[in-house]
Amino acid sequence: MMTRADWIAVLLAIALLPGLYVRYWGDSSQAEAVRIAANGQQDITIPLSGNRRFTVHGPLGESVIEIRDGRVRFISSPCRGQQCVHSGWLAHAGDLAACLPNGIMVTVTGRDRRFDSINF
Amino acid sequence: MSLTVPTTREDHRIAWLTALAITIHIAEAALPSPLPGIKPGLANVVTIVALLEYGWTTAAWVALLRVLIGSLLMGTFLSPTFLLSLSGALASIAALRIATWLPGRGFGPVGYSLLAALAHMAAQFFTAYWVFIPHAGLFHLLPVLMTAALLFGIVSGLIAQLALHGLRSPEARLP
Repeated sequence: MMTRADWIAVLLAIALLPGLYVRYWGDSSQAEAVRIAANGQQDITIPLSGNRRFTVHGPLGESVIEIRDGRVRFISSPCRGQQCVHSGWLAHAGDLAACLPNGIMVTVTGRDRRFDSINF
Repeated sequence: MSLTVPTTREDHRIAWLTALAITIHIAEAALPSPLPGIKPGLANVVTIVALLEYGWTTAAWVALLRVLIGSLLMGTFLSPTFLLSLSGALASIAALRIATWLPGRGFGPVGYSLLAALAHMAAQFFTAYWVFIPHAGLFHLLPVLMTAALLFGIVSGLIAQLALHGLRSPEARLP
């Protein structure tokens, strides 16, 4: 007594179900966007698609930030320590690099953070 | 001065079916469930049989009355449980309504039951997410809940199919 529509419904439901598992049980720390917070300015959030560079202005000067292949990094910054540049590529949600002298913080956002908190 | 409400045959039929659905609902509530929100939902067999034998309006009445009266009897009226049940019931009868628009031979009991179960679970989940636990971590439960809905939807549909088979046989007598 199962009609054709029944079979289509059942098979479609069974076919789409694994998709739910992939989406919600899969890697949720995937990087989706980068949030840039600069002292005195509004936070901006930029999706990590595409490749580009842009400059953020801070009290010390200009920091150059690059987005490429879904990752983000500081290319240059007018600070002495250059910790921000040495942080390298930020690839996972929750990764963070900051140029404290220049008042700029770059965070990668995604659905879940990779770690709930990190202490140094 | 007495007040009488004239009842139709359809009213009696709906009351009969609802009583059956409530009984199954309460009996099933005695069974333990592995996760909150997962239960076989066997009372929905009555809804689906009502849909296929008497039409969507009867089925909708049965479903909603069952949620209302069931919650009154179980003591969960107006509780969060009730809100979740109600949202699920509303979504599932809406889904059934839309499913009846399918032209041609349309769905059988299994198809209707599956669609209603999936709609029910999805609506309950999002009600829980938006009203009670707006935390992204809740989504980790969604695949498990939808798997249960798929499974039990098909099982209920097969039971409804068997029931309809028996009801439509020559020796059966319908209310």
